[in-house]
Amino acid sequence: MPESVDPRRLKLTNDAGTEGVLLGFHCLECDTVIFGPGTFCQRCTSIKLEPMELSRAGILYSYTVVRIPPAGWPGPVPYILGQVELPDGPQVLAEVVDCPEEDLEIDMPVELALRLVEGQEPGAAKVVYKWRPVDSHQATAEVHP
Amino acid sequence: MTQFRPGRQVMVAGVGLHPFGRFPEKDMATLAVEAVVPALSDAGVQWQDIQVAYFGRVYYNGMSMGETVLGRLGLTGIPIINVENACSSGSTAFWQAYWGITTGMFDIALAFGAEKVPRGPVTVTAEDSPERLIGADHMMAGYALRSRRYMSETGAPETALAQVVVKARQNASLNPYSHRKETITIEDVLQSRLISDPLTLFQCCPTSEGAAAAVLVAGDALSKYGIDQNRAIRIAAAVLTSGGYNGKGSDHSAFSPYRTEPAALEAYKVSGLKPEDIDLVQVHDAATIGELQQLEALHLVPFGEAWKATEEGRTSLTGDIPTNTDGGLLAMGHPFGATGIRMIHETVLQLRHEAGPRQVKDARVGLAECSGAGDVTTVHILVK
Repeated sequence: MPESVDPRRLKLTNDAGTEGVLLGFHCLECDTVIFGPGTFCQRCTSIKLEPMELSRAGILYSYTVVRIPPAGWPGPVPYILGQVELPDGPQVLAEVVDCPEEDLEIDMPVELALRLVEGQEPGAAKVVYKWRPVDSHQATAEVHP
Repeated sequence: MTQFRPGRQVMVAGVGLHPFGRFPEKDMATLAVEAVVPALSDAGVQWQDIQVAYFGRVYYNGMSMGETVLGRLGLTGIPIINVENACSSGSTAFWQAYWGITTGMFDIALAFGAEKVPRGPVTVTAEDSPERLIGADHMMAGYALRSRRYMSETGAPETALAQVVVKARQNASLNPYSHRKETITIEDVLQSRLISDPLTLFQCCPTSEGAAAAVLVAGDALSKYGIDQNRAIRIAAAVLTSGGYNGKGSDHSAFSPYRTEPAALEAYKVSGLKPEDIDLVQVHDAATIGELQQLEALHLVPFGEAWKATEEGRTSLTGDIPTNTDGGLLAMGHPFGATGIRMIHETVLQLRHEAGPRQVKDARVGLAECSGAGDVTTVHILVK
């Protein structure tokens, strides 16, 4: 069964590892939402955090086409890196897939997409969260609930 | 945020620099020694006078590098502290030296930094981090994300970003210690190869080798060490911050382009100076966008307008906000541990009016701002 790249950030919801959800915390004292693991609230330091599942769609706050990759990058080059803002608040950086470079636009709606990525070691494949474009009709409902 | 309460007056008595570039024939300790010795000589003090030393560096596989370096000058037994604070390691070492003196613990201190940065894209996380599979840990990609959003929000054209490095190269061409001495045009910048669009190679600072050093002395101890009062430069503010909550739930550099602002406001408060009092500024221009957003965060220009100030020539040596007068990270180069003290070196030369062909006219107040991963920011204000 495939494993999440980081179970504290991405929970897989089927055995095939094709579906999942980003995880975070909601602070019951100051209402801040944090992506990924947390013990104390980044904003107010409260420990009254409740785990939550983050929205599956957001907007492309910014993007870049990385032509010289960092060491350890297992994918093709160039690749698109997206900075996505979720309606819950946090921004999440990940690769944008299924999108020709010329279609990229700031503030375009995108949604979560999972991909199995081979690591440097054989057998070390992980499911990694990525973003892909959604059509505007579908996005309206998801981005502005 | 921490409230900083200075005590005794602290002066920079001497500075030294090893040129920035690539020096395969020298090890890091040699680079460092060749910055420390000129700094001691510039201050007119002996190595045996130094009571404490702080050493900034990032890339080193061993331990206690500071002790290894300074052992070459003689084993005097003083406390030596090794400092790693990402790209702000050098400026953090300087900050610690300041606080060691202003609080009364020491009369005289050495802050120095050296680095041999490996080639290739810079990452923050360890090699086994999940970030490597996600592809988000890439320093210049973070700056590229900031660039595109900034251009979208402010209307800045890519030629305005390119002008930042054209100006940096002009300043560096007047500096024999710089890594990149050739002047270039906006077209050269835009036609250099793409690293992470819209950033091209020339818009990203080179990874460099080099070293820098500064000798700090209590104002009331200058005469005890026979230091020339006329060449000593007063430290009016020394502020270090880490990241505050930025509303986006992460400390990745892409998320907090204006993290310098709280440190800048504290530095202005501590020094009693205002942005309009600053005669010249060194900022963390690891990429072109960095210089623009730092100038805005320092309140030297309104938010979203640094690109216009750059196009109008206001940030050049003859403008009203001379910025990165020695070439900055973009052209001087960026050996992480040395960079923050290199900024102090340039500021001190300018305030002493010893900067030669790149001298800023009537310079009296200089500000140096250095940023690092973890949203580390240092802001130092120096006054003649």
